[in-house]
Amino acid sequence: MHSIKKMKSGLLCLAILTVSLGINKRALADTESSSKVQLTPCYIENLPDRLLCGSIKQPLSYETNKGEIDIHFAVIPAIKQSYPTEAVLGFAGGPGQSAVELAAIFNRNLRYARENRDILLVDQRGTGKSFKLQCQSDDLVTQFAFNDALVDMSTLTAKETQGCKSEIKVDLSHFTTPVAAKDFEAVRQALGYTGLHLYGVSYGTRIAQEYTRQFPDSVLTSTLDGVAPMQQSLAAIGGAIDTSLEALLKRCKAQKQCEKQYPDLSNQLATLLDRLDHSPVTIDVRHPRTHQNIELVVTQLKFFSAIRMALYSHHTRALIPLTISEALAGNYSPLVGLLSSSDMVDSMAMGMHSAIVCGEDWPYLTSVSRVKHTQSYFGKLMIESLDMSCPVWQVKPVDNRFYQPLDTVTPTLLLSGGVDPATPPEWAEMAMVNMENATHLIAPSATHGVVSQTCAAKLVGQFIDKKSAQELDASCLEKDNRKQFFMNLNGTVSTQKTKNSTSQVGATYDIGK
Amino acid sequence: MKLLTVLFKKEVLDAGRDKRSVMAGLYYAIGSPIIMCVLFSIMLKQFASPDELKITINNADAAPALVQYLDSKEIIHSTDNDVKAITLEISADYQDKMREGRSAQVTIIADKSDDKLRKSIAELERALMRYNSEVASLRLLTRGIDPTVMQAVNVQVHDQATPESKGGMFLGIATLSIVLTLFYAAMNLAIDTSAGERERNSLALLLSHPLSSMQVVLAKSAAIAAFSMLGLAIILVVSKFAYALVPWQQLGFSVNIGFDFMLLCMVIGLPIALMSASLQVFVSFMAKSFKEAQTYVTMVLFVPMGLSMVTTYDIATEYVQWLPIAAQQHAMIEFIKGNALPWPQLFISTLVTLALFGLFSWLSSRMLKSEKVVFGL
Repeated sequence: MHSIKKMKSGLLCLAILTVSLGINKRALADTESSSKVQLTPCYIENLPDRLLCGSIKQPLSYETNKGEIDIHFAVIPAIKQSYPTEAVLGFAGGPGQSAVELAAIFNRNLRYARENRDILLVDQRGTGKSFKLQCQSDDLVTQFAFNDALVDMSTLTAKETQGCKSEIKVDLSHFTTPVAAKDFEAVRQALGYTGLHLYGVSYGTRIAQEYTRQFPDSVLTSTLDGVAPMQQSLAAIGGAIDTSLEALLKRCKAQKQCEKQYPDLSNQLATLLDRLDHSPVTIDVRHPRTHQNIELVVTQLKFFSAIRMALYSHHTRALIPLTISEALAGNYSPLVGLLSSSDMVDSMAMGMHSAIVCGEDWPYLTSVSRVKHTQSYFGKLMIESLDMSCPVWQVKPVDNRFYQPLDTVTPTLLLSGGVDPATPPEWAEMAMVNMENATHLIAPSATHGVVSQTCAAKLVGQFIDKKSAQELDASCLEKDNRKQFFMNLNGTVSTQKTKNSTSQVGATYDIGK
Repeated sequence: MKLLTVLFKKEVLDAGRDKRSVMAGLYYAIGSPIIMCVLFSIMLKQFASPDELKITINNADAAPALVQYLDSKEIIHSTDNDVKAITLEISADYQDKMREGRSAQVTIIADKSDDKLRKSIAELERALMRYNSEVASLRLLTRGIDPTVMQAVNVQVHDQATPESKGGMFLGIATLSIVLTLFYAAMNLAIDTSAGERERNSLALLLSHPLSSMQVVLAKSAAIAAFSMLGLAIILVVSKFAYALVPWQQLGFSVNIGFDFMLLCMVIGLPIALMSASLQVFVSFMAKSFKEAQTYVTMVLFVPMGLSMVTTYDIATEYVQWLPIAAQQHAMIEFIKGNALPWPQLFISTLVTLALFGLFSWLSSRMLKSEKVVFGL
């Protein structure tokens, strides 16, 4: 059938061939196989390859007629169409990130899978081009000068949330995970794929699990990278942050050079946070890009948040001891560096983020889980913030069954980073309690998102090909990919000249590893 | 016309009897795509799983962070036997320079004229450059500067290529083998039916019948062209299946021989087959003996081969692209890439090809009027 179609189009082309045939064939196949989806060539930042973009109409609400919204998607065409009826569906994290905007990253993470299958990226409702729910955020100068310790946070959050709500003017209850899962199924049907391989990162693992629960027959395999279990509130993240930070401090302590340069780092951090809590520091700094003099108020929240965000990447993790030690000595330049990208969060749709956390993570917090989560600094902070903003949003809580762990026979590959500051390995263990065909792999030194940091991209490719994780050789995940700590502003070489380093001058050159 | 059909049948029957000549031509059609696919598969395997690059790193202890970085890029220090003749020399004052924020020297010691090393040296250089920018970014961060200031322009590329069109070089070689079939599949037959017939003394007998020499030449050319087209059909079918087995996708492109492409090749191949047949007949009659014909035909075939090569290696100038064979092969490549066909070039070159067919046939028929040629004197 397929070949006849190809021949027909080929004959046509002999007569009137003007535009690229590769595109024509696909567009033809796609429109014929299903409803009329117009696919147009498009490009996404940082990915030179030509993609196919399109959109479908979906009801805003499944209960009442409130009109339609456009769900946008992009297809990264397979290098070789070995399985034209299958695709790998990528789910973005956040919640609030646009999957289509992250096409370059999905393309890299799924490069082995793409050799034979299309990659399908759908902007989840409320993100990207699919009715993005976004509110204005402060610019860097305002953020730097803001003193969170001075203002009454609950009044401010309520006011800001109210402002955002009147800007968005839509009931966020239509943007929860169970509702959004239906859009993905509609896109699958519109494009005529009979089966999907799911690949979710971070929050994306939650929607991947929900999609599997609602449409088990559409799922061939599922890869969950940095797993958020259904029964776990994102407020539990505070514990993961603490564990990840502790692992870093412990590593520094265990290294002779780091311990010598930054003695007693844990206490240094505690001292600094305590000091900032009592009296925030106001200083003049240079704008990280324009170099103008601007004011920076260093509060406990700002400093700790910067450290928290630095925990996500090995590059910035390497700077944490230096940042703490310099700040304690009154030099906040490394902190400014870590904060320099804080006004780049435009890509995150905070309205959609609120729909998820207020509709799913906040409603069923029990007094027990509240006590547990508030034991950590960020858990407490998160619950306080949800308590302030969610009553304003008034998102209808999702059904109680949403919190059941996913019960499935679908081949599932779970990936966790050993020092993940968001979704630690224990979370994956929680998620897989009722999965019959699941394999959990841990990369001990990885942070959040294992595939982009390790050899796991290859493993995911093999897993999708074989639809089984049985024969995967995961030994390469053991490779230590952590970076050495910065000892001073210039790098990893210790400031004090050690005896060892001087003796090397003029020494023999035949030193191995 | 009826006479021509009878003659054509006679020639085909005659040619078909010499099984060895027929098979020799067809072996090429079957064998060349298979051999190429085996070679490409082996090559791809090397691409797909590149080994660790083993080099010698001197004074590695002075730069543990750099060594670890190289290790993460699969470049390691080794003392094994298969270590590449590349040495990375870390300077004695590396640590002091690093600490002070000055450039710390590392030296690559290798022979850049050694073809086997060139790729590895480039890989090492690239890794070191990336390390430079990684450390530079972090140094800016520690000074409170956003590293994006180093990226003055954000260069984005909108690549117009498709997975089909990225296989450029391989498509060139694939179409080269397809075009050459039209010349080599029936080469033995062409010589046999002309110079061979003369040597067997049956040519004079044939000409003694009430036939024009043009009819004889046309029938011979048609028979040869028929075998060429058979060879073309076979190489296309074999290519379709053989190329599908090579994992091209690992290199980021795909090669699809579709029915539409096969049809196109048959259509543009037919005039070339006729021209090729008439050319080989003409050259064979020019030669005095069978042996000589073999030599001449082989030599003359360098011309179409050259035209095909310039297209394959993309060194064709504007003018060459209008010439027969070059233009047709170019059209094949464009089609398989999914681009628009170069209609004017294809049209002109097909006309020229047919004109050449006419010219060679006319020349051959004139020669057959000369007794000197008929009796090989």
